[in-house]
Parts: sequence; C-alpha cells; structure tokens
Amino acid sequence: MSLLVGNGLTHWFGRELALEGVDLVIDTGEHMAVLGDNGAGKTTLLRILATVLRPTSGQLEIAGLNAFRERRRLRHHVGYVAHATGLYPALTAAENLEFFCDLQDVSRTRVEEALDAVGLTRVARRRAGELSRGMQQRLSIARAILHEPRLLILDEPDASLGDDAAELLTQVMKDKTVVLATHDHALANRLCPRTLVLRHGRSHGTATRLRVVR
Amino acid sequence: MNPFRVALAVARKDIRSEWRTREMVPALAQFIVLALLIGNFGFQIDARNAPAIAPGILWLALVFAGLVAFGRTFAAEREQASLEAMLMTPASPVAIFAGKAIAASLLLVICEAVLLPALTLFFGTPFTGDVVAAVLLATVGMAALGVMFAAIVARVRARELLLPLLTLPLWIPFIIAGGQAVQSAMGLPGNYQEAIGLLIDFDILFVVLTSLAARFVLEE
Repeated sequence: MSLLVGNGLTHWFGRELALEGVDLVIDTGEHMAVLGDNGAGKTTLLRILATVLRPTSGQLEIAGLNAFRERRRLRHHVGYVAHATGLYPALTAAENLEFFCDLQDVSRTRVEEALDAVGLTRVARRRAGELSRGMQQRLSIARAILHEPRLLILDEPDASLGDDAAELLTQVMKDKTVVLATHDHALANRLCPRTLVLRHGRSHGTATRLRVVR
Repeated sequence: MNPFRVALAVARKDIRSEWRTREMVPALAQFIVLALLIGNFGFQIDARNAPAIAPGILWLALVFAGLVAFGRTFAAEREQASLEAMLMTPASPVAIFAGKAIAASLLLVICEAVLLPALTLFFGTPFTGDVVAAVLLATVGMAALGVMFAAIVARVRARELLLPLLTLPLWIPFIIAGGQAVQSAMGLPGNYQEAIGLLIDFDILFVVLTSLAARFVLEE
C-alpha cells in the first residue's frame, strides 16, 4: 500500500527551476534513497515531501491526506531531519526534546527513549551548544523520531555522524517509511533497496539498486 | 492539542534560554539607564517641568528597548533554523506566536522594572501604580505588534532597518495614549481614565489582529 504519492512536483525559486515534474510513489515500510549532485534538487524535493515547502505545482498525498491542505494533521505522521540541526544551544539535550514533546503533544517519557535510540543518554543534561556536531545531528534525529512518525525524511543525516552512521540509521529507520538523501552511494545501497536519481531538478528514474559507475 | 500548553512551552523555552545566556536583559537595562542619564543631562530639568519631560524620555527609552527586544525574538530562531523545526510540529502557529509574544513582553517588563524606578531617581517624578498600569497596558499591544513584524522581517537581510520602519508608525497610538496617561498620573492636566480606556481598546484590537495574521506570517 502506498504511503506517499507525488505527481508532477515542480518548484521554482524565482526564475530558477529547482525541481521539474517529479513523480514518485513510496509504499509503506519502503526505504528510498535520493541521490544527485549538489544543486540537483534533493533538498527541495525533501522539503516538499516534509511539507515545509509548498511546490509551485504538483500534487502530494501522504497517508491518504492532501499534503498541502491538511499539513498540520499530517505532521503527526512525518519526521524531518534537515541540513541545519535547528536546536536551542542554551537548552540541554533533554530540554530540547521535552520542548518538542510539548509541541508534538506526546508524553515526555519519550525523551529518554529517543535519546537512547540515538545513543545520547549520557549527555542528556549537557547543553546542545556544547555538544559536538555529530552529537547535535544525533539529537536532531532524536527530535524527528520523538513522535514515532510513519514517514521519516532524512536530508544527508550521515554528514557528520561518523563511522557508525549506517548502524545508527538502520536502527532509527526500522519499521518506518523512509526517504533519505545522501551523497554516499554505498550507504544508500546498504540502507535503501530503492533509489531515485535527480539531475538538474529532473528525475532520472528509480532503480531497485544503484549501479555505481566509476 | 492544547494551544495554551504550546504557548507556555514556547514562552518558557525563550525565557530559559535568555536566563542562561543573559544576552538581552543586561544590555537593555544598561541602555535604559544610559538613555535616562542622557535625558537628565540633556534637558534643564527641575521640579516644575519634570512631569512634562520625563514621560517623553520614558517612552523613547521604552520604544528603542522594545525594538531591540522584539527584533531578536524571531531573528535568533531563523539563524539557528529552529523556527522551521517548530513549524514542522502540529502546534498551532497562533499558539507559537503567542508564546513568543509572552516571552518578549516579559523581557520588556523586566526592563520596565529598571526603567520606572530609575526615572523616579533621575527626574524625581512619582512612581505610582497608575504609571505602572499605563506602561504595562502599552506593553501588551506593543509586544503583539513588535513580535508580528519581527516575524515578518526575520526573513530579510535588512531586518534591523525594516523593523523600526514597520513597527514605529503602528506604535504611535500607544505612545500617544500612554504618554497622556503617564503625564496625568504624574500630575499634569489630562484625563487618565480616558487614556487608559484607549490603551485597552488598542490592546484588544492589535492582539486580535496580530493573532489572526500570525498563521499567514509564520507559515510559508
């Protein structure tokens, strides 16, 4: 059963075309990687799928809901890890998550579970601003899974995670539908059975496995 | 989802961040004292003209302190990309806006707690409940407008320039009514009750208008 159906997703930034007529269908529980060079439109596509950005044209349905008309309802089902961590540096790791529990309307007991899932339990009382970049990225992933979303959208989450990125992401992605943008082809092959390749904002089709051409 | 819980969470988060970083309040308090000091030496103030001059200096200091305090409310969120994370939740943008406005108002109230006694100290004007009430009532509407325009200009580069240009014209009613209320509370002729009634009307009008606009301002 399809969790996400996008048709003709197109986005212009002023006079610049960032994404052109991308169609995609993602089934429940499926993991799909989005690959492409810098400026290919990966982040624009992911921001549209996360309902952060409204496309210039096109249709998007997630969990049977119109992604633009019912986006507040939809946000119970979507978790998004963006490029920037978007954390509050003066608050501790736990306080950052507690704040988002209040905004997501979920119990604060989820904080401990989410910190444990990303291996940050021991730094729960340290301020986010004092954490390393990799730890901040983990905290940002913890925030995205706080409300146990059905659809998880990850924009280059491996960028500063270090050697155990694949293990951590495998754990986090378990039982979820995932769209993952990355530059790391090996990681994409390992985590995602399906791949979408973008070039200059256009989809160059999906494949069940990526063939790495050197 | 309870919007009051969201608003309180946002306000608590902002105040906790300010308490830990102490970025704004000490600087604003220092600015206020300096503004009063300049006013004290810049005018020939005596017991007769103090009630006429002091309210003007009070509102000038308050307006500029407010612009700085409200300007930072959304600029910091944009800089650290946390506003997007907040708006990605199912929380109502109106509740988020209300929380930001509550926190910014509290910052300004803390500044007023320095400003009003300092005004009495420098100018010898009376520090009464009527003066405090007029200033607090003006703070409500000024905060609602200031935070809304801060959210609008946070997206643009020249925000420090744009915020006063957009905000000051709409703060004029508060400065006029607040000025009249404070002057009459300090013993000059004028109708205090009428000025306070006007401030309450402006508060209701602008709190309602900014709440209605918040959704469109915050959501892309």
